[in-house]
Amino acid sequence: MPAAIEITDLHKSYDNTVALRGIDLTIKPGEFYGLLGPNGAGKTTTIGIITGLVKLESGSVSVFGKDIISDYRFTRSKIGVSPQEFTSDWFFSIEKLLIFQAGYYGIPKKAAVPRVEEVMKKFGLYEKRDDKIRFLSGGMKRRFMIAKSLVNDPDILILDEPTAGVDVELRRMLWDYLKELHGKGKTILLTTHYIEEAEKLCERVSIINDGKIVTEGAPEELVRSLGKGSIEVHLTGWQKSHADQWGDITFAYESGDGDSDGKLVFSVDDPGKELPHIVGLVSRNGCHIHEVKIAKSSLEDVFVSLTGRGINE
Amino acid sequence: MNWVGFRTLTMREITRFFAVYRQTVIPGLITSGLYIIIFGLTLQRRITAIDGVSYTVYILPGLIMMNVITNAYNNTASSILQMKLLQQMQDMLITPMSNVELSLSFIIGGAVRGFINGILVLLLGISLVGMPVEHPLMVILFLLIVSWAFSSAGLILGILAESWDNIATMVNFFITPLIFLGGVFYSINMLPEFWRSLSLANPIYYVINGLRYAVLNVGDTPFLVSFSAALVMTILFTAIGVGLFHRGYRLKN
Repeated sequence: MPAAIEITDLHKSYDNTVALRGIDLTIKPGEFYGLLGPNGAGKTTTIGIITGLVKLESGSVSVFGKDIISDYRFTRSKIGVSPQEFTSDWFFSIEKLLIFQAGYYGIPKKAAVPRVEEVMKKFGLYEKRDDKIRFLSGGMKRRFMIAKSLVNDPDILILDEPTAGVDVELRRMLWDYLKELHGKGKTILLTTHYIEEAEKLCERVSIINDGKIVTEGAPEELVRSLGKGSIEVHLTGWQKSHADQWGDITFAYESGDGDSDGKLVFSVDDPGKELPHIVGLVSRNGCHIHEVKIAKSSLEDVFVSLTGRGINE
Repeated sequence: MNWVGFRTLTMREITRFFAVYRQTVIPGLITSGLYIIIFGLTLQRRITAIDGVSYTVYILPGLIMMNVITNAYNNTASSILQMKLLQQMQDMLITPMSNVELSLSFIIGGAVRGFINGILVLLLGISLVGMPVEHPLMVILFLLIVSWAFSSAGLILGILAESWDNIATMVNFFITPLIFLGGVFYSINMLPEFWRSLSLANPIYYVINGLRYAVLNVGDTPFLVSFSAALVMTILFTAIGVGLFHRGYRLKN
């Protein structure tokens, strides 16, 4: 089976700025994929090219094996997009707009009406069906945007910052719903600023910075490859000679307030797994352990170490 | 061809202006009614019949055209600009509809508004002053063509426009003067030689005279000339409008 989305050597410039410097990406059917990056990294441009809103300069994109330019009707009908910016409309109720949306995707009104009703109910929009977008709250607008991306029952759902500016309750609800869709075999491509969101939802993520993909993998894998989890052992009675037999364990000792007080900081790949071993080593030397702290590195640390800046900077 | 999509967007464009008929249908009727009443009651007594037609009836085809042109143009131009400003255009551009389907839907929406406005002023003329309609089929065909032509012009300007100001500028500085100088209120035979020749370069002059011939069987130019001029405009504006849309000019990055 061909990839849900296959991006090869994608380049794009706007006037004088280079937005994409050769993006390669393969998203498998049914995968939950995250695209992480700071503002201006190239996430929205990449999505724009997949959907046909942005003209590509060189490279190619295919959706389920078909080219997005020569086979645009096929590829676009497979995709539902929820853009970052809210859409508005001055004339029609949200129900009408959703029925129109289905129509643009070739779904006749008869089939669209029940489908739209179902989607509106799912997103708590049914009570507001006769309202115009501009009278909806921010959270309701976001629900509408996502509902709109689903009326054509797409196999691939692309969400550009779906939880930006959304309250905790709605974020939870969206997360649950996205998991449900993923469970039904939909392919989901998500861009986000929230690392936690990517860690919770995505099976694989790419970190994109300055128009290039700097790393790719499962979130746990990326965290592990960074290998900078740590175990802090606060103790009394430490002597340097205790470590003679320890081999190549990386650690540092910091003395504390009292003469014999201090802490050992061990740098390990997987703190949870290494903990019993480390505690065993330290206590075998007759030290008295007061407290043990574990610090796991996160996807955020991976991000910072690869891009040199925080995701929200 | 995505027929369902094409039909949906076309219907959206038509229902959009009907939803605000107070802004899109009624004003043309009111101003035309005012022209008919005021000119009928005042000027007609002082201006002798032109080509054997009373003055009020003589200007009616021009009033009809004025409504057709401004409504067709405004509908498409403002719909496109509004879609751009409200981020709707990007939603349209990613649907499985071709650029030709999208741009034709917009053109048809504006053409329907122009046509309906034209027919309504025509009916107003018939009911208020008993305007005769000499060649009904010719009238309908001509109104359709001109509605389409200026709706396409609206498509071009909607694509080029970046603010409401741009659209108003085009209307105030080009379209309205061209309409008024196109012989809505006079026959160009009443003009001095220089101005008469200049009028012949105004495309709207042909459109007004074509309709005047179809309605009243009088006109300064042969119908075939007016009809050809309207047809050339239709083809030209449609080609440019659809072409710009297809290239994604000011629509896609």
